[in-house]
Amino acid sequence: MGSNSLTLAPAPRSAAAEEVRAEVRAFLAEELAAGSFSTHVDTWLSGVDPAFSRKLGERGWLGMTWPKRYGGHERTAMERYAVTEELLAAGAPVAAHWIADRQSGPNLLRYGTEAQRTAILPRIAAGECYFVIGMSEPDSGSDLASIRTRATRNGDGDWVVNGAKVWTSNAHASHYAITLVRSSPADPANRHAGLSQLLVDLSLPGITVNPIRILDGGHHFNEVVFDDVVVPGDMLLGEEGNGWHQVTAELAFERSGPERFLSTYPLLAEFARRVAAAPDPAGLAALGRLSARLLALRQMSLRIAGALDRGELPDIPAALVKDVGTTFEADVIDEVRRAVDVVASLDSPDPLGRALAEAQLHAPGYTLRGGTNEILRGIVARGLGLR
Amino acid sequence: MSSTDTDLVVETVRDILTSFEPFVLTAERPWDAGLWSALAEAGMTGVGLPEEAGGSGGDLADAVAIVATLAQGAAAVPVAEQLLVAAPAVLAADLDLPAPDEPLSIAVDGAVTAEPRDDGDGPGSWTLTGTATDVAWAGVARHLVVLATSPVGPVLALVDVTGRETTHAANLAGEPRGSLVFDGVTCAGALLTDARADELRARYALARAVQLSAALEQVLGWTVQYAGERVQFGRPLGRFQAIQMELAEMAGEVTAVAALVDSAVQATERGESLVPAAAAAKVRAGAAVEVVARLAHQVHGAIGFTQEHRLHHLTRRCWSWRDEAGTELAWSRVLGERLLADGPDALWPALTRVV
Repeated sequence: MGSNSLTLAPAPRSAAAEEVRAEVRAFLAEELAAGSFSTHVDTWLSGVDPAFSRKLGERGWLGMTWPKRYGGHERTAMERYAVTEELLAAGAPVAAHWIADRQSGPNLLRYGTEAQRTAILPRIAAGECYFVIGMSEPDSGSDLASIRTRATRNGDGDWVVNGAKVWTSNAHASHYAITLVRSSPADPANRHAGLSQLLVDLSLPGITVNPIRILDGGHHFNEVVFDDVVVPGDMLLGEEGNGWHQVTAELAFERSGPERFLSTYPLLAEFARRVAAAPDPAGLAALGRLSARLLALRQMSLRIAGALDRGELPDIPAALVKDVGTTFEADVIDEVRRAVDVVASLDSPDPLGRALAEAQLHAPGYTLRGGTNEILRGIVARGLGLR
Repeated sequence: MSSTDTDLVVETVRDILTSFEPFVLTAERPWDAGLWSALAEAGMTGVGLPEEAGGSGGDLADAVAIVATLAQGAAAVPVAEQLLVAAPAVLAADLDLPAPDEPLSIAVDGAVTAEPRDDGDGPGSWTLTGTATDVAWAGVARHLVVLATSPVGPVLALVDVTGRETTHAANLAGEPRGSLVFDGVTCAGALLTDARADELRARYALARAVQLSAALEQVLGWTVQYAGERVQFGRPLGRFQAIQMELAEMAGEVTAVAALVDSAVQATERGESLVPAAAAAKVRAGAAVEVVARLAHQVHGAIGFTQEHRLHHLTRRCWSWRDEAGTELAWSRVLGERLLADGPDALWPALTRVV
């Protein structure tokens, strides 16, 4: 095809990444042996454990790529990739800090004021300060530009926010929401104008957090209602009216990581135990097929980490990783079911049956969160020059 | 050669290809002899092979780039077999490399036994008996590397097959895949360990994966181009969301294959264990064919279902290449076994070691 924006250079090998990978692996083995956590599927949504997050912070595994003056560790995206991948593969409880470490922190680094960065980033890196994504609303899912949560300036220069955000994962256990608001009236000629991002302290008066249960009964999602919430004027993130651009950049960070293909890895690991216990050609082949897909996704995602280290923001390849990766996450379920006899149940005495149940009940989310696969394919089509 | 040299060989091969259009292969015209001569004259059939052995110099990356470029051009020449599999195997076994302008291919299937000759020729001389099946470029190749069995282990035999009778068989693209019978043929050869024999098969699989990756990328390119040109309902096909979704799905597959195949090639360059990397690359590339070829034909419509359009030159090859050099199913099992070699609790460490 000659040159196209889908293709990235192969990731460089990183000895530093392999070194930190070994450290994380040893840490996780100790924690598992000590019973400080148990492995589950999709733990970057469901595994909230502030004590565990603080342990990661103490070891320097949060805010890894950020400047040291903000509590970061000035390490490479390749090293961060190795750490996040190991945590996900172990099914460790990483949900508390996940959003803050992955996208809110980088967003603050990019657009935050010095005061905002100094106040918040060191706490994120310590594993003590958690964020939620304030994007979707009851009437605005994929069509993010249609949001109606409003922010108006009052006489003191503060923002008065009214509206509601939904699917805010773990808002009940988090400190801040980076909230996309309409800061000036909608302009039909330019739907992306007039949006801004606010850094909203979730303990402010006027905020109500209502639980929304997902299919397995778990409480991760919430509705966050803003009723005349007064947000200090200096909590504007970035530029007033630049919210659309900022949110798009933020989503690119959100889309390329290993959590986009490893959410169901613990199911694959259980499947491997079953196959190893009674190896048969069909089981081995299914394991091989799934592993080949996973290995390709790792390389795609690693290439993006390499591109981030070169200072690029590869939004189209990131969309591709998420499309291919989340499809894979759900396909693991189907392949496992075809290859071995197993009945999915959260109460199963069989760990494979439990992992399958967790994976299945979380499955609808994989290809929705962070931009539906249909939206992602639209982005890819743009990369192919079709839009 | 440096990466600049890689660009140079790619440019050379592309230049040559402009004079040789792909054609429908038949029993009468099973390969592009003219293209082969042009490539050989330019030294392209010896790239990646050391000059002191009669090659043109350069490294594996250069040879891979040539193979990929030729795959994109649906070139009917045994370059992948020669540059990536057979010639490196001959050199690794310390046998004399045939002249690179004489097509050299590889045979790993069938039942061929090798008996050491004790007529004073030493252990480098063997007698081959049996039938090699599914031989790539049977009837075209002048020399054949045959992976045979012997009482003392696998043997890599190098046979001059010029003029030797072959049964005609072709893959879905018409590429020759016939059989050769050996009735006590004397040839040079070398004993291999089982591990080296496995690696030879893996290299063959990786060569097919390289071809698949390149061909799939080209199929995507052609399909995007066609969707931009073909107008229905008053607009180009590519303006329809339904078509965009299909093209994006193809792009995801193509990108995944390229990422893994490139990494497997790099792992080979670093001399790492080849079998799991090649197995994964071959399986992933083969799986992508399902999606990419199906959707490419869907978007191209009826014209793509005919020999009048170029699409079939690559889709038919892809449908065959995914089955060759070990089927997708066979390599899936191999990969599954290798990943479980240290027990299921070590699956994740095993995965992170593959490439």
